[in-house]
Amino acid sequence: MSDVLIKIEDVSRIFPVPGGEFTALKNINATIDKGSFTILKGRSGSGKTTLINIVGCLDYPSKGKVFIDGREVSNLSERERENLRRRDFGFVFQSVSLMPSLNAYQNVEFSLRLAGHKIDANTQKRVKDCLKMVGLGNRMTHMGAELSGGEQQRVAIARAIAHKPRIIFADEPTAELDSAMAANVTQLFRTMAEKEGITVIMTTHDVGLMDAADSIIELESGERINV
Amino acid sequence: MFRLMLQKMWHKKWMTLSLLIGCILLVATAISFPLYQKAAYDRMLQDEFNMIVSKEGRYPTVLSVATFSKRDKSGMVKKIEDFMDTVYDKVGVTEKQTVLYYILQKTPLRSDMNREDAGDIGVALSGITDLENHVNIISGEGFSETGMDENGCIEVLVSEDSFLREGLLLGETLTYEALTDVNGNPIRIVIKGIFRVPEDDMYWQENSEKISFRAFMKMDLFHEMFAGDNISKYTVDCRFYGFMNYDDIIYEDISGIVKNTKYLCEKSAFRSVIDDPLYMDTIDGYQRKINRISATLIILQVPVMIMLCAFLLMISGQMYEMERNEISVIKSRGSYRSQIFRLYLYQGVVLALAGGALGIPLGVLFSKMLASTRNFLEIEPSFALPVVFTKNAFIYLAGALLLTLLSITLPAIKHSKVSIVDLKRQKAMSKKSLWKKLYLDIILIGVSVYGYYSFHKNMTDLSKNVLQGESLDPLLYISSSLFILGLGLLFLRIQPYIVLGIYNLGKRFWKSASYISFLENMRNARKQQLIMLFLIMTVSLGIYHATVARTILSNALENTEYLNASEIVIKEAWPLSYNPENKAEASYVEPDFTKYQTMSIAKQTARVMIDDAGYISFKNSDRQVVTIMGIHTKEFGQVTNIPDGLLEKPYYEYLNELAVTPGGLLVSSNFKSKHGYKVGDSIHFRNKDGKEAFGTIVDFVDYWPGYTPVKSVTDADGSISEQENFLVVTHFDMLKQRFNGQPNAGVQPYEVWIDLREDATDRDFLEWVEENEPVVVKYASRDDNLQNTLEDPLLQGTNGILTMGFIVTILLCAIGYLIYWIMAIRERELMFGVLRACGFHKGELVHMLINEQIFCGVFSVLAGIGIGKLASKMFVPILQQAYASENQVLPMKLITNAADMYRLYGVIAVAMLVALIVLIGILFKMNVTKALKLGEE
Repeated sequence: MSDVLIKIEDVSRIFPVPGGEFTALKNINATIDKGSFTILKGRSGSGKTTLINIVGCLDYPSKGKVFIDGREVSNLSERERENLRRRDFGFVFQSVSLMPSLNAYQNVEFSLRLAGHKIDANTQKRVKDCLKMVGLGNRMTHMGAELSGGEQQRVAIARAIAHKPRIIFADEPTAELDSAMAANVTQLFRTMAEKEGITVIMTTHDVGLMDAADSIIELESGERINV
Repeated sequence: MFRLMLQKMWHKKWMTLSLLIGCILLVATAISFPLYQKAAYDRMLQDEFNMIVSKEGRYPTVLSVATFSKRDKSGMVKKIEDFMDTVYDKVGVTEKQTVLYYILQKTPLRSDMNREDAGDIGVALSGITDLENHVNIISGEGFSETGMDENGCIEVLVSEDSFLREGLLLGETLTYEALTDVNGNPIRIVIKGIFRVPEDDMYWQENSEKISFRAFMKMDLFHEMFAGDNISKYTVDCRFYGFMNYDDIIYEDISGIVKNTKYLCEKSAFRSVIDDPLYMDTIDGYQRKINRISATLIILQVPVMIMLCAFLLMISGQMYEMERNEISVIKSRGSYRSQIFRLYLYQGVVLALAGGALGIPLGVLFSKMLASTRNFLEIEPSFALPVVFTKNAFIYLAGALLLTLLSITLPAIKHSKVSIVDLKRQKAMSKKSLWKKLYLDIILIGVSVYGYYSFHKNMTDLSKNVLQGESLDPLLYISSSLFILGLGLLFLRIQPYIVLGIYNLGKRFWKSASYISFLENMRNARKQQLIMLFLIMTVSLGIYHATVARTILSNALENTEYLNASEIVIKEAWPLSYNPENKAEASYVEPDFTKYQTMSIAKQTARVMIDDAGYISFKNSDRQVVTIMGIHTKEFGQVTNIPDGLLEKPYYEYLNELAVTPGGLLVSSNFKSKHGYKVGDSIHFRNKDGKEAFGTIVDFVDYWPGYTPVKSVTDADGSISEQENFLVVTHFDMLKQRFNGQPNAGVQPYEVWIDLREDATDRDFLEWVEENEPVVVKYASRDDNLQNTLEDPLLQGTNGILTMGFIVTILLCAIGYLIYWIMAIRERELMFGVLRACGFHKGELVHMLINEQIFCGVFSVLAGIGIGKLASKMFVPILQQAYASENQVLPMKLITNAADMYRLYGVIAVAMLVALIVLIGILFKMNVTKALKLGEE
């Protein structure tokens, strides 16, 4: 019996729009187990990104609560949420999100600096290991622009795991990749979850990737349709 | 298309606004120059003419024609008379008065009274236009209606001098025996009146001695009897004076006047009878001054214009940069290049026109500012400047509009070529800047340092050239600008290494914010180059220009102050009193001096006997002109001073040395350096009347109140040579004693030097003069001359343009800097979003921004300060030579005003702070989730 790490309780998100409101999420309830690989599934506009942003402490719910390890995070101060993000979370975004002025190695090292690690032989080894793990051991000094889309996304993954976060949030990380590469990246997340004990939450609309998931939360028009 | 353009402009309203500001400033700066120039040059022209009036006492614009008509049958005189009617139009001026002056050949004149004492009387019968209005009749009366008395005698007026010399009697009749009227009757005249010529009447073109040999009859009558149809029967000396209205002449008239006058004097039918007009020399001097000023001011204005164009290019470049995607998409979808270009052309036209409309009133304001600049960054609206739009102003306006249009649209040509494919390719490549590959920085520094050394070596030639009226060598100014630019570029080359060095120093310890800002800065070095260069140039040119402006003006003012050794100098006319027994023996009558001492507005007064035409015979050379100065040491010390550092010892010590040595002399240092004199040597010298005195040298002085050691003299061929001036200073009373017993002995005419009370001005003094009516032969006011120096168009224009340029560039710099950084943040919004998502605190963002500002802004400012100071130290001493006037006496000093520097740093600090605050505002308002969405195109 695995432990519940994340508990989403009746979360709604309403955006003001010209002439009214738009309900992006409606009364979402879910639990995510520690060390699991969860996929948020749904079509474009179904609310996946909104939900992952709320759970990842990038956004606040309009209603409802989010608990991580039994502690409510949806009412934390900005500062506490920032600390949570830099130490306990790792993010992978759909678009290219590497620092353009940093090379692959520096991008990964940066997340260690952010998490407050002192840069020494250990951290250097960790950076290299992470890059090797994503299969880029030989391209560490390349700048982002010199890598392909898939390679960039793999650097982003290495960056997301380098500081050993508890949770990785990946928002459509495979959207811009071909299906082989997408499967490859998804497999990588799967391995992370298993090897490093990291909880991975990933959004995707690609049905072909669902097999890898431990659990699936499916959204449609802001509502959860599978329980 | 037009709507698309307006939409586009509205969408980027801040950039559009910046472009508009650039256009307005460019137009305003460009037209302010001709507007100011016009007003200043008109004023200068009037100053030149007025100077002739006050210094030489003659009418400045007269064209005189003279012919000697000996029974002339050719009708030349009539032709000249007709010519004089049209001469004003021919020259291009207006008429004040035409004066005809006819003198009959002198023939024997005998009194009808058969007086024994009356011999041959030497006055020639003459007629001159409008005589009655230019003489004061002191005895007798003026002409009657007909000009003849009832006996048919011609009425004549004679001057007091001829009346006395010839022993004439009022009412006496005289006969020219050899002169007859057309009917063969001898001419008889009657002395109707005696006149005196008013002293300051510039109508008279002859001196009073010559006038005393004329007997003036009524001009109409003269013309009827001896000229006109009868001219062929007489021998007449005919002179024609065309007095032109000089107060109507403006700057634009000058070239026409010169051309027309040259034609009249060299090519016209009257060329042989026209005297060389003196006004041509005046105008020639004026034109040389004007040319020098124009060239200098244009050179000073060019960097400002370049900065303005660079600003427009930079902003419009940024704008295209932002629109690159849109442009290349439009282009890939099949839009013609010309369509895209037209879009930007229309935008340029709209902006240029708007800039023109708003820039003209601002330009008027700028020109007024130029005329009100008293010192660098000191504007005091006191001088009225009439604003007149001349052809020149319109040419400048058109030029400015064209430049604006070009600066805005040129980048579009480049960009309209690029399609989306090229764009992606370009983005992937990060080329090294062209200037780096060409080593432009090194080349510029090399060229300018070469210029520096060659100018430095030829510094004396440089000042000579300038005194000869040549304009400031543009190369000199360009050298300093190239030097600044070269060093600025060199700094850009090494700046990334400096950042890298600092980064490497603490590579392991940098917190994430510092870490990322280091890497961002190194990575974006090339993008930042332009704005950094802009900053460096603004700061260093600001410092350089501040130093130039301060130095030239301070030196000129200090020099004026030195040459005007006391606040007021006044000299009265000293009448001579003849010894009734021996007419050769005369002595001066001293005007009352106590009236100055008791004057309520005077603090101190001193009697100073100055004779600048004394002479001395040196041991080994010919007679040498020497200035002799007789002073009361105590009085003199109270009204004069000498700036510190000019003399080896404090000024008062010299005065004390003289005071305690009866018969002592202070002499100029060239006595020692040129003729080997030493302390204790005895010197004999004579004043201008030949009276001799002697004394013993007690000390040598390099400078002395009012003394010019070396004078630049313009030779006849226009070349400049240096002339040593020798000075002997001694006791007033000693001179008096030594001169005693010699002709015209006793007190010699002296000047009174006055130090006014703090609350009194030279105006109060002039009021005093009006009340007390001393007969003044010399008057000088230090304040007057300082004011003239301040208003000297070369100095004022230089200060004005440098001040205006400084304000404009700093404004551009602030706007440019802000725009650059806003763009830089907008471009990196995604990156900031990622950083925030990864838990970057807002404080860290601020930290990062501050770091970036330091690497980009603060580094540039510091480099600019260093470069500006170095350039000032090297080039200002050379440049100021170009501003030195011919009466520059004091050694030049490099002047920097701390307040200028603080003002400069303050403005820049405020600009950077504002930029930082705005940027922080933008970053804090940024929504993380929205920023992240940005990437998902």
